[in-house]
Formats: sequence, structure tokens, C-alpha cells
Amino acid sequence: MKRDEIPPGTLYLLILKTLSLHGSLHGYEMANSIQQSSDDVLQVEEGSLYPALQRMLIKGWVTAEWGVTLGNRRARYYRLTAEGRKQLARELSQFQRVFGAINRVIQTA
Amino acid sequence: MILDEALRRIRMLFQGRKFQHDLDEEMRTHKELREQEYVDRGLSRDAAHTAASRSFGNTASIRETSFRAWGWSWLEGLLQDVRYGVRSMFRSPALTIVALLSLALGIGANTAIFSFLDAVMLRSLPVKNPSQLVLFFGDELEYGVTDRYGSATLYSYPFFRQMQQKNAVFSDVAAMFSFWQNVHGTVEGRDAMEEMKVQLVSGTYFPMLGVQAPIGRTLTDEDDNSEGDHPVVVVSYAWWKRALASDPAVLNRKIKLGKTMFNIIGVAPPEFFGTKVGDAPDIWVPMSMMRSIPPEMKGYKDDFYQAMLIMGRLKPGVSPAQATANVNVLYQQIIRGFSDADLSQRNVAHLDKAHVTLLPMATGFSQLRRQFSEPLHLLMGITALVLLIACANIANLLLARSTARARELAVRQALGARRIRIVRQLLTESLLLAFIGGLLGVGLAVFADRLLLRMISGGADVIPLDVSLNTRLLLFTFTVTVATAVLFGIIPALRATRVELTDALKDGRGSSNGTARSPLGKALIVTQVAISLVLMVGAMLFVRTLVNLNKVDMGFDRENVLRLDIDSTVTGIKSDDPRMISMFQQIEQRIDALPGVKSASFASFFFNEGSWNTRIRVQGTTPDENVNVKHNVIGNGYFSTMQIPLLAGRTFGPQDTSTSQHVAIISESMAKNLFPARINPIGHHYYTGFDPKPENDVEVIGIVKDVKFGSLDEDQQYVDYLPNPQHPWGYGRLAVRYDGNFAAISNEVQRAIHGIDRTLPISHVSTLDDQVARSITNQRLVAQLSAFFGLLAVFLSCIGIYGLMSYMVGRRTNEIGIRIAIGASRANVRWLVMREIILLVAVGIAIGVPVTLLGSRVVTNMLFGLKGTDAVSLVASVVGLLLVAVLAGYLPARRAARVDPVIALRYE
Repeated sequence: MKRDEIPPGTLYLLILKTLSLHGSLHGYEMANSIQQSSDDVLQVEEGSLYPALQRMLIKGWVTAEWGVTLGNRRARYYRLTAEGRKQLARELSQFQRVFGAINRVIQTA
Repeated sequence: MILDEALRRIRMLFQGRKFQHDLDEEMRTHKELREQEYVDRGLSRDAAHTAASRSFGNTASIRETSFRAWGWSWLEGLLQDVRYGVRSMFRSPALTIVALLSLALGIGANTAIFSFLDAVMLRSLPVKNPSQLVLFFGDELEYGVTDRYGSATLYSYPFFRQMQQKNAVFSDVAAMFSFWQNVHGTVEGRDAMEEMKVQLVSGTYFPMLGVQAPIGRTLTDEDDNSEGDHPVVVVSYAWWKRALASDPAVLNRKIKLGKTMFNIIGVAPPEFFGTKVGDAPDIWVPMSMMRSIPPEMKGYKDDFYQAMLIMGRLKPGVSPAQATANVNVLYQQIIRGFSDADLSQRNVAHLDKAHVTLLPMATGFSQLRRQFSEPLHLLMGITALVLLIACANIANLLLARSTARARELAVRQALGARRIRIVRQLLTESLLLAFIGGLLGVGLAVFADRLLLRMISGGADVIPLDVSLNTRLLLFTFTVTVATAVLFGIIPALRATRVELTDALKDGRGSSNGTARSPLGKALIVTQVAISLVLMVGAMLFVRTLVNLNKVDMGFDRENVLRLDIDSTVTGIKSDDPRMISMFQQIEQRIDALPGVKSASFASFFFNEGSWNTRIRVQGTTPDENVNVKHNVIGNGYFSTMQIPLLAGRTFGPQDTSTSQHVAIISESMAKNLFPARINPIGHHYYTGFDPKPENDVEVIGIVKDVKFGSLDEDQQYVDYLPNPQHPWGYGRLAVRYDGNFAAISNEVQRAIHGIDRTLPISHVSTLDDQVARSITNQRLVAQLSAFFGLLAVFLSCIGIYGLMSYMVGRRTNEIGIRIAIGASRANVRWLVMREIILLVAVGIAIGVPVTLLGSRVVTNMLFGLKGTDAVSLVASVVGLLLVAVLAGYLPARRAARVDPVIALRYE
């Protein structure tokens, strides 16, 4: 199946949203979750999650902690912070504004 | 929030390894989980591995991107560059040493001179809001005229009090005595007298400045509101440390000055040196105690005792113009309102013209500043030029090296390094050089500052001036260093990266014709030569000025004369007391009789020790108000001690007593210009001072040759000499003409003085020669330093020429080889190279000459006995510069001529 690349600038939004739904996830789960929630339409180049996560750690939107998976592997779990929640709201409203605008342009045409 | 983020970044930096490790582990886990998933779906392990890797992406680049997210990659890059830079510095140690040395000298010299400029001229007083302080000053010189009419230069204590009460523009006003007293006093419990610098100040002085005492208290208005009953002093921190060994019980100690015992009530803060830069008092005494300080001045209640400097602190919001207007209205009111004001027509005319100017005194005021402002600015300019030469040199060296590294850089560029990356690398290298050079420079400056302070002080007593390193200074050095790095780094860096890749890769040494390719290097050499010429001519001018000054005919013989001061005030006997007069004569006679002594005499002034001047009124002439005569009170042996020839009449003798006819000996030009023509001045009378009062009447009994009085470069002065018994006044400087060993004579002389009165303090023992030398301290300073910097400039330029030429010869080795192979003579080859150098130097000189002529205008008034356009200095400098430059170029030329054609060609 052909998948679409994630539109530029929306990766943070997707990560933040995913984390807000699931509470605490490691990278692999995040990638899977995004892919499944999009009904396999969006393709995350999985590795690109990690630079984004590093940046989000720096910004203080997420925190990370080592934990153990069900299959008994060590994995790093990410969790939203209060600041992360605020950022999610900001990103969402910005996305909706832009998306709505694009939508209006398309429909008038 | 931003702070949190910064903290997280810093934590990342310090735990970098751990973060890297964590990231690697989680990426590995991720891939393995994905791989497992594919295997579970039925793929083979290999296929699963490939698929997982593909969907994950390039691990190395992800790691790189993640790392960059921390924002520290620049640091990593920098460290890399620095490591690389250090390695490449070690690869060419000669170049590195030369570069560091020139930088250290350049930056060190700049820092040292700047630290003086800062201390003398720029730094604010360590007091509260120094920018609000103003100093009352007149339109005339600092030293006022103390005749009985208003002077706007110095003020009386009653004037200060009235100004304090009546003004509407100052939050407070303070007065300080305008001149220093070096008083000999005794710390209670000790035997020996010690010399102390005493500063008399009004009680408002410390409160107005906002200076508080770390120990005890400072003076207050209470200490100054009635005369004679406040025997208290505040001592300086430095003096407390030095003379009282930082005694914690300092407040229980007393100092005896004259007949009065003073209580120490406080120690001033360590940074407070008073309000006069370069002149730090040891103790501050309230003005009310003026009469108790030797020599017992009586100015506290005298309306016209003009000896005060007045300063005020402007109220917030008051403009200088408002303050000036208010002060000038009050000035007229107060002066005219004094009951003993002499409102004669002449005085009123003077008064009408008087105008008080308010000078800002945020940086204090200073004799030193007037004396050294010009030399220091000049030296700053000189050192800046030297630094510029050093920069040009380093630029040249780096340019040569980066051209030599063209191949390396080309390879790196071909391998995909971005140009900006390589420029950054090269800039890092020059910054590194600059920083190390700057550091060495600061070290050098610390040392140079001490040397300079000694040179400026011009004698054994070092001027109390704080020239230690401070933040401002380090900031200055830092700026200079960075500017230097950018200046000498950026051009070679840009040039070096602008290579034609194919050329450079084909031939490690770039294209064959090196000379045509380095116009920048040549331009730098030309600039260096031009600047060197400017500095050399400047140095010549100043050195010749110094020589001229030393050749000046002073009118007296400065050699073999010992001079010293005795403080006769400690005896408590008044100077007009016959006992005092005869004590001085006794000392003279006793010393006269010593073996090895030819003659000895007291005087109130020897050369360059200040003056006492008044106008005079010669009978039969109209007095000229603009003519001042300098008076010198002398002992009978003065002229033979100084070896000033008597031209007519007689010198003073025992017959000139306090009761006999008052007499004077006048200088040659005074006789010629101030006496009516065709009248023999001998036997003629005149009045010293403007008013024809009988006690000022003197008869001329002799004429002596003109002498220099205050400085070597002054015009002819009018001087008259008065005998001590008739004018007992501020006397106590002794000159002794001797033969033989100075130390032995000095001991004998001091023993003889103590034989008359063993309590007499003796100080400032030196020679007249030293005294003369001290008077030209700043000319000597400028001459020595400009000579040093001139030579340094030439030396640096020679290094530059040598470096460039060696480099060019190296690049042209095979061309030269071919020339020799086809029959060029060695002399031909040498000339070929020399021609290049001579041309460059000639162009440099051609540019330098007009610049020098223009520049010499700036220094014209600092010269003596020659003009800025002095041909001798110019020609000598041009010839000298040409010679050394050609010599610097000759060595590479000789090497070129020795090239073995076979080796040179095989090299290709």
C-alpha cells in the first residue's frame, strides 16, 4: 500500500496528540500508533521521531524515563508534561486554523 | 521557561555521553522490535532486518540530527577547530613564535598605555555619583593671584562659606586647600619625625563626596565650624597600612603636627585617594585647624586668602548653565560684599571681567593629566600603529602559510567541506593566535605598567597611581585581541579558500608565478614600510627634541650639585626670627667649610620647583600688568654655588641685614627690558608687588646672567633675587657644589646640618642634575618609548619583508633554476629578487613621506628646537629604513642565487 509522507511541521502535533491519548509510550509504540490511527495512510520514517523527541525534551514538552516493556525489554517511555499539553493546544489550534483556511480555498475553487 | 530550557541544554552537554548512549539503545530497541514484528509476520530474518532498517532510516544521520537538537554542535566544532589549530601551530613553530611575539608586544604595549590613559584620564573618582561634581575654576591658570582683589581661580575660606549658604544650585559645596603640605610630624609614642602629605579640607568634603570610613568616621561640618578646636584627622588607608602597620587600634592613636596633638578619628576607604589623580594625601585635616599645621597659615577667617579650590555637587535637575549663572551672580555679590574689599577702579575693572567656569570633575582633577594628556594620547596612537604592523605581519605570514596549504585546503573542499567551514577553521586559528598573544600581552602589560609608572614618576618617589589591571582594561584588551584576530585572519582565510581547485590539486605549490599572485602580501609590506617610516621619523623628532633640551643653556651649571630639603618649621621658630635667619647662615657656613665642598647656599627655589611671582613697579616707568617677575630668596653663596655669572655690581654679603636698605639682584633681561633705557639699573629702585609700599622698595645692587627657572623650554624669564634676612620666607632648599663622591658628601652635609639642630628633618636628597632631568620626564618618556616602538615597528616590518621574500623565493625555485640553467649569473638572480624588495620599500617610503609630513603637524608643539618637517630626521629615517629593509631582503635573495639548477629542476 502506498503511504503518504507526514506533512511538514505536523510531526510534533502527531507525537503530542498520540502521547496525550496513550499517556506513556516508547518510540516504537509511537510510530505504530501514528500509523494505525491514520489507517496506515501516514508513513512515519520511524527514525525521524528521535531527533524530534530530543528537541521536545529540550523544550520541556515531554519527559523520558526508562521502563520495561510487556516483552520484558528495556525501553524509554515518553510522557507529556504540563508544558507539553499547552503546546498541544497551541499546535492544534494553529493546525485547525491553517487546515480550515486551506479547506476554504479549495472549496471556493 | 527559557532558563529551564537552558538548564536542560547544559545538563545535556555534561551528560552527553549518557544521552548519546540512551539514544543509541532506544533506536536499537526500536529496530529490533520492528524486525521481530516482520519475522512474526513471516519474513525471513534477513529480509526482516533489511526492511526494518529501511523503514527506520540512516542511524548515523539521525544521531547527528538528534545531537544538533541540543544546540551544542558549534562547541564540538569549535573544540575540533581549536585542536586542529593548535596542531597546525606546532607544525610551523618559527612562524608561531614570531606571530605570538609580535602580537604580545603589540597588544601588551596597547594595554599598558591604555591603562595609564585610563588611570590618568578616564576613570571616575571612587565617590558617589561623580558626574554631579563640578569644580570652580576661573579663566586663568590654576594658580591665582593673591593681591587684594577678586580672583576667579582660587578662593578664600570665607568665600566658600558664603557660597555654601547662598547658592541655590548645589546640594553641597566643599573646599580643599589648593596646595600640598609635606609636613613632618610624629606618631605618638615614636621618636622619629615622619613626612606626611597633609590635605586641608572643609568639613563638608567627605559628606559631599559621599565617602564613608570603614574604620571610625570621616570629617563632618562639626569638625570645621570654629577655628582651632578640632584637632582631628582622617588617615588614608594606604598610610594606615604603611605607617601604622594596619593597627586595628588606630582610633586610639595620635599624631603630633607642629605643636598640636591630633586624634585619628577614622581611616578612609582603600579605593579613595582624594580628588586629585596621582596625588594621594596621607592625612586629611579640617580647615579649622589650618593654624596648627606648619607653617601655620592664617586663612580661616581671611576674606582674601585665596588658596582654596571649591567644588560642588549639582542638585538633581540643575543644568550646568543654570549653576554657572547662579555661581557668577553670587561671586560678584560675595567678593564686593566683603568689608575689606578693595573696590578701587582697577580692581572693579578686574572684577567685572572675572568669570567663574564650572568644570565637570567626575574624573577628578590633576596636574598629571595636564602634563601627560598629550604624550599619552600620542603614545596610544603610536602603539596602535605598532599593533597594526604586527597585524599586517601576521596576516602576511598566515597568507603565505595558507597559500602553502592550498593543496590541503583544496583537498578538503573537493571532499565536500563547505567554504564557510574552512574559513571558520582558519579564523579559529587566528583567534587562537590572538588569544594566546593577548594573554602574553596582558602579562607583558603588567610588567610594562610598573616600568612606565617609574618612568612617569621620574624619580625615586613613585606617583600613587592605580594602574593595576581592572575589568575595563581587560575588556579593552579583549576587544583589541578580537579585532586583531579578525583583522589579520579574515583576509587570508577568504583568500585561501578562493583557490581554483584544479590548479591547486595539480600542483601542490599552486601556479608557478608566485610573485604576480600576491598583491595583497605586497600591499601589506608597503603599508608596513609606510607606517614604520612615520614611527621612525616621529621617534627621531622626539629623540632630537630630548637632545636639544639637554643642550639648552640653563645659565647655571647643573653638574656636581647636591640638593636637599630641610623642614625648619619643626623648630617652631618663625622664619623672620633672627635665630632662624642665623641658623640658616650657620648651616651654610658649616657646610662651606667641609672638605670637598666648594660652596653651599639655601634658596627658596632651585630649578623647576615652582615660583613666587608678582608684578613690579620700576621708578620712572609705567608698570605693565602683564609682566610678572619671579622672585627667589637666596643665601649669600647662591651665585657661586650655581655658578651664575655676575655681570655688574655685587652679590649679597653680611652687610645686607634685615635692618639695612632692602636690596635686590636682577637678571640680565630684566635689567634690559624693565628698566628705562640709558639708565644704569644699579642703584635704581623698584617695588616688588603692584602697590608702592615702602616695605616693598628695593635697590638694585647687581645684575646676573639669565637662567632657566621653571623649565628647559621656557622663554626668557624675569627673575630677581632677594637676600633671606630681608625677606625671610619659605626657605629650606639647600644646594651644595661639591667635588668627589656624592654619597660621602651627602653624609657629611647631613651630619653638619644635624650638628646645628639634630631635630631638623632632611628629605629629597638628590642632585641638581636629577632635578633638571625630572623636569623633562615626559619628553624623555615620549622619546624613549617612541624610539622603542619605532625600532619595534622597523623590526616587525623587516620580519615581514624577510618572510614574504623567503616565501616568494621558495615558490620561484624552479623558475630560478631554469634561469640559472640557461645561463643567468648569480648576480643577475640576486638582482632579480632584490629589485622586488627595493621596489616595495620605495613605494612604501613614497607613501610614508607625505603621511609623515602631515602627521608631524600634530606633534609640532611637543617638539623643541626643531620643526615637524625636519629634513634631517626625515632623510635619516628614509636611509635607515631602506638599509635595514634591503638587508632583510638580501638574505632570501642570496639563498635564491645559490639555487642548484639540477635540484630545482628535478624538484619539478
